[in-house]
Amino acid sequence: MEDAIRVEGLTKRFGSFTAVDDVSFCVKSGEIFGILGPNGAGKTTTLEIIEGLQRPNQGQVSVLGLDVLRQPAQIKARIGVQLQSSAYYDYLSLREILVLLGSFYPKRLAPDPLLKQVGLLDQATQRVKHLSGGQKQRFTVAASLINDPELVILDEPTTGLDPQARRNLWDLIREIHQRGVTVVLTTHYMEEAEALCQRLAIMDRGRLVAVDTPQNLINRLETTYTVKLVVPAPLTEDQIISLNGGVSSIQTVERNTYLLRLHQAPEALDTVLQTIVGSKIRLDHLEIGPVTLEDVFLELTGNELRD
Amino acid sequence: MLPLTLANLKMMARNRSTTFWALFFPLLLVVVFGLFEFDGFGSASLTVVDEAKTPNSQLLIQSLSELEFLRLQNAGGGESAARAALEKGDLDYLLLIPAGFGEAPSPDPGSTSAGVGLLVNANNVEQNQLVEAAVRHLVAESLSKEGPGDGAESVPPSVSPASLSIESVAVTQVRYFDVVLLGLVGLGIMSNSIISIAVKISTYRSQSILKRMLVTPLPIWKYFAAEIISYLMLAVIQAAIILAVGVFAFGAHVPGNLLWLLVLVILGSIVFLNIGFILSAWANTPSAASGMGNAISLPMMFFAGTFFSTASLPWVLPYLAEALPLTPMLSAMRAVSIDSASLWEVWPQLAVLTGWVVVTGLAAIKFFRFS
Repeated sequence: MEDAIRVEGLTKRFGSFTAVDDVSFCVKSGEIFGILGPNGAGKTTTLEIIEGLQRPNQGQVSVLGLDVLRQPAQIKARIGVQLQSSAYYDYLSLREILVLLGSFYPKRLAPDPLLKQVGLLDQATQRVKHLSGGQKQRFTVAASLINDPELVILDEPTTGLDPQARRNLWDLIREIHQRGVTVVLTTHYMEEAEALCQRLAIMDRGRLVAVDTPQNLINRLETTYTVKLVVPAPLTEDQIISLNGGVSSIQTVERNTYLLRLHQAPEALDTVLQTIVGSKIRLDHLEIGPVTLEDVFLELTGNELRD
Repeated sequence: MLPLTLANLKMMARNRSTTFWALFFPLLLVVVFGLFEFDGFGSASLTVVDEAKTPNSQLLIQSLSELEFLRLQNAGGGESAARAALEKGDLDYLLLIPAGFGEAPSPDPGSTSAGVGLLVNANNVEQNQLVEAAVRHLVAESLSKEGPGDGAESVPPSVSPASLSIESVAVTQVRYFDVVLLGLVGLGIMSNSIISIAVKISTYRSQSILKRMLVTPLPIWKYFAAEIISYLMLAVIQAAIILAVGVFAFGAHVPGNLLWLLVLVILGSIVFLNIGFILSAWANTPSAASGMGNAISLPMMFFAGTFFSTASLPWVLPYLAEALPLTPMLSAMRAVSIDSASLWEVWPQLAVLTGWVVVTGLAAIKFFRFS
């Protein structure tokens, strides 16, 4: 199947600042593809180039087989876009906004079934400002679907939502995906990327660090377990050094809370536990957990751990 | 484009503050100027054409200039120009001092020295009585003296009827209210067009609504065309309401061709909308846009002659005032609607306005930014 998006050697500079630095990746038709990274990683700039809002300094981008620089109007007609924190007209109702947006497209859906799908049919005559945060985000997703697109691009769709609203939105995104729509989304929530995306691109400071399935990314890591310690009093230097013996890294999460990342379980786990007993470290809490995308991200990009 | 235009109009109608401010301020001023009789206020203008140039005539002019309610104007073009000004209502009084005024009359009562002529605007009945009386008194006083150095003589002032003739001139009077009403139409359109488009676009930009439009296949010129068309419709409605209130509630007289007026309203609005687009590019927030809009429209309101003639401004200000886009718009609007001029007769103003449309349009395209 043809790739929904092909990005090759994409570079975008703003003055002397390089927002996107030689990024290449493909999005396959019919998948949910996530771009994960902290704020300022270049996710939004990458999306805006794909959407035709910005011109790249270097590189080729094609969407649905069309070149973004040469055929932007044809692309725009076939994709749906949800912008980060985009508001809508204050003085129109939800239904009127959808009708208006639909009028810009050659092909459009009826507004009411769309509102029904996102659970906002009862609010059809209300204004956007009267919606809750979760309803607002669901509405912007509905608005991105008005032209029955083959590809939707969602920029941080769940930022600022409470956990319940976030899960509702995940369900909505899965539903859209099941109808055969390719979904590209950005997020800085690891668990969101892990829960939703079939493939992930990890970006940091304008660079693409890795592209793979969430599980492959996790499997790639040297770290196999994490151990979280909560102690009544801060550990001494000596205690930290002795713990570090069998551990790849130790991070002070908060005062009295430490996170250990282990390389070779179960040997390392054994060493850590013995050290704890041997150096008479008193524990309030001990937690042994699997590796998450959070760890992947830190290992691939971060030096926070090794500072 | 049509759905967007209709949606824009719908939003304007629902945005009560837009509608309110588009009409409230101009209508308030219409009421103020309609209720107060500004024509009766202030000093009356007088031009003296002195063909005598005698001590007596100088004395007369001197004492006239000391009257507080008379403002002496120079007779630039002589008697004929002054008469024309009087007939147009630009001048209130014209005093003609004939040659030989104040010279010793021949003993024959039939051949008195030539009489002074006072031409008055027939419309100003009450004011005329006051001015006639004052002039009569001063003419008598100046005649009773031989010259400035001879003031001791105490002959009671009197004047023979022959020495002052009064001529009442029928004037096609332009009421100040009519003039100001057209000014208020222009003012309303100017401030509303500049401020509301600047605020709207900067709001849309700060909320990424502009960006949201850009990710649709709608060609961007259609987006701007829809904005401009809907604001032009608002301007026309605004002009119609202000004029209607002025004419029907306060009896303004607007005899000219309304179609020509419509052309001028649209041309002027385009200039002000362009200015609004330019401001929206410079303003980072909607409130900054609103402040900038006021900073431009308030001075323009005064300097373009909305309320007062700017001819008497000092220094280069009158020329600067001429260069403002509102000035030619107002003078052309007044010419076509009050003096019933045709569009062809106001071509200089039209040319300046068209120049403004082009210049501001190009600047708007150059400076506009979406994000």
